[in-house]
Amino acid sequence: MKILIADDDALSRRLLEKTLERAAYAVTTVADGRRAVEVLRKPDAPRLALLDWMMPELDGPGVCREIRKHREQGYVYMILLTSRESKEDIVAGLESGADDYLVKPFDADELKARLRTGERILHLEDRLVEAREQMRFKATHDPLTFLWNRGVIMDLMGRELTRSQREHGCAAVILGDLDHFKNVNDTHGHLVGDQVLREVARRLLQSVRSYDFVGRYGGEEFLTLLNNCPPASALVRAEEIRKAICTRPVQTDAGPLGITMSLGVLLSCDWGHRPADELLREVDAALYAAKTAGRNCVMQAKPDEPRERVPTPQPAGERFR
Amino acid sequence: MNKANGSEASCVNWSELLARVDNDRELLCDLLSIFKREFPEHLQALRNAVACNDSALAARVSHTLKGMLANMAVTKAADYASRLERLARAGEIASLGGAFDAFEKEVQGLLPEMESYTAEARP
Repeated sequence: MKILIADDDALSRRLLEKTLERAAYAVTTVADGRRAVEVLRKPDAPRLALLDWMMPELDGPGVCREIRKHREQGYVYMILLTSRESKEDIVAGLESGADDYLVKPFDADELKARLRTGERILHLEDRLVEAREQMRFKATHDPLTFLWNRGVIMDLMGRELTRSQREHGCAAVILGDLDHFKNVNDTHGHLVGDQVLREVARRLLQSVRSYDFVGRYGGEEFLTLLNNCPPASALVRAEEIRKAICTRPVQTDAGPLGITMSLGVLLSCDWGHRPADELLREVDAALYAAKTAGRNCVMQAKPDEPRERVPTPQPAGERFR
Repeated sequence: MNKANGSEASCVNWSELLARVDNDRELLCDLLSIFKREFPEHLQALRNAVACNDSALAARVSHTLKGMLANMAVTKAADYASRLERLARAGEIASLGGAFDAFEKEVQGLLPEMESYTAEARP
């Protein structure tokens, strides 16, 4: 494990360094408090630190205060080394954010035991962070497809529309629905249906840029947001998504299945300042129009105009049924 | 037997120091070398601080010396340095001179004792 030693006394530094290297720590040493803060703020910095109390530039308690100010970084377990023994000093040291203190000259066994305590705390923190991240993921993602869940994709849509309006840009909202998906479930069972949904999700993610958003809106409905998307390219992109779904059959336990998707697309710049739920109704109506027009096609929602079908040339053999 | 072997009144508690370095003679020689390089500079700084009645500097330097001496198991001199630090922090300038003289007397034989140890330890 990595550890930082900050001590202006070269003798003490060398003694600590050697003692800890023998105990299999990867040691970094610095001679003043300012440098200690720099090292501890670096990415992949040591998370254990032994800080001398009195140092030039910034003393040990000062280092603790600086490090504790930045809560977003991982926890650093800090032990103050001191030859000051008054209770007031010790209280002040711990109040500055230190986790422990050790009186100099240190006893090697006591030092190692206290560092093991620090490692236990850091291990506990790692497990808590991991658990929090797992919960955060579960709360925001669809458990089957691992796409954004409905709540999050709706929030993202609202945010993106507001941003586009503010920046006078254009965002594309694409709502896609798998055609005849009920047949897949009824004929091959829900496990095969799940395989199809997972593969469709994968293809959708492959079809967009890293900064676009894809979410599972409902059972077999998917909502895609394309940020900063010029109107002409939005329609091309929607068509690419449609092709990504239908050009290759989906491999399932029931064999390859031909899957198609109908899509409604809406460009935020066509609609002025409209609330997100209203735009969602419009794109849903465009999707419905795509279904009515024969499925496996893209329809664009435009204000005060009949729904416009995006030309979708379909070469022979494109559909797999 | 000489001081380094612990017969006469040694400044350094060698057995304590060896235990601290886990009987690592190479590390011990490293520490002695650092000490011999740094101690005279700090001693001179303390002498100047006391002569100029600079209690803040005297407190800082005597604190550093206290830590160095304690690490090297020079217990009695570390106590003298600790007294100097306390006096300097309390601003008792009148007592600093006498305390420094006592400290200097205590550490007078320290470097020769270390030299002698190093010479004996050399293969």
